[in-house]
Amino acid sequence: MSACDPLAACMPIEDTLQPASRLILESRLSEIDLLWPWLESLAARYAVPPDTSFAIQLCLEEAVSNTIRHGYRGQPGYPVTIDFSPANVNELVFVIEDQAPPFDPLGDRAVPPMPAAGSIDRLEPGGHGIRLLRKFAGSLDYKRLSTGNRLTLRFAVAH
Amino acid sequence: MQITTEEMDGGINKVALDGRLDIAGAAIVDLKMNVIAGQSKKLLIDLKNVSFLGSMGLRSIVLPARAVLGHGGKVVLFGPTEMVESVIKTSGIDSLLPVHHDLAAAIAALQ
Repeated sequence: MSACDPLAACMPIEDTLQPASRLILESRLSEIDLLWPWLESLAARYAVPPDTSFAIQLCLEEAVSNTIRHGYRGQPGYPVTIDFSPANVNELVFVIEDQAPPFDPLGDRAVPPMPAAGSIDRLEPGGHGIRLLRKFAGSLDYKRLSTGNRLTLRFAVAH
Repeated sequence: MQITTEEMDGGINKVALDGRLDIAGAAIVDLKMNVIAGQSKKLLIDLKNVSFLGSMGLRSIVLPARAVLGHGGKVVLFGPTEMVESVIKTSGIDSLLPVHHDLAAAIAALQ
């Protein structure tokens, strides 16, 4: 490996040898509890700052719960696969894949307009999730696969 | 996740949340929050010990608050951390549920 390998730039050698990590959940909301120790372990390994770690947890909870509640319509027994990879020292990438019918969480119909300030409709229980995803993820990308859906979330890490 | 309540002077009910308001945390506090909301005209929700707030946890604040406002009451949010406050502001609920970091100001906002 050359010293100028763009994927290894500024990254200690031992980190470049770490394999990507994968977590497979079943399509039940209670499985989301398994996200936290996994994410905490990754945050510790990659020295993720607390605010970034908060943003990652927020977005993954939202994205995975969307998949379970809307993609799989709450039916248990299906897989939700989350792959983690450090794109480089400054960016962490999470890829969530499922085997659900087409469901684009970033589609126009998934983003209700913000009600007027002061309107009681601001206290509707739904509709906040997609705004939070857009605010707290560095970037989001949806792709329909032949077997399901793929959502890619990227987070910048400031060291 | 823990939830404690306190009756303060001036008819204010204070509910303090402590821990992670994720899906599991929300499930723990939802029933009690809704009971408190049904009994409150002035509700102060103390968030200073909430270390995480996700969209499902947000529902645990939004639904009881909606109930209180629906019967003519007031709700204020007190002391969130910077990230928790960012979640609140991104969702836009702070236009109805003002955020205060000073307890006296929070109490005054409920009068």
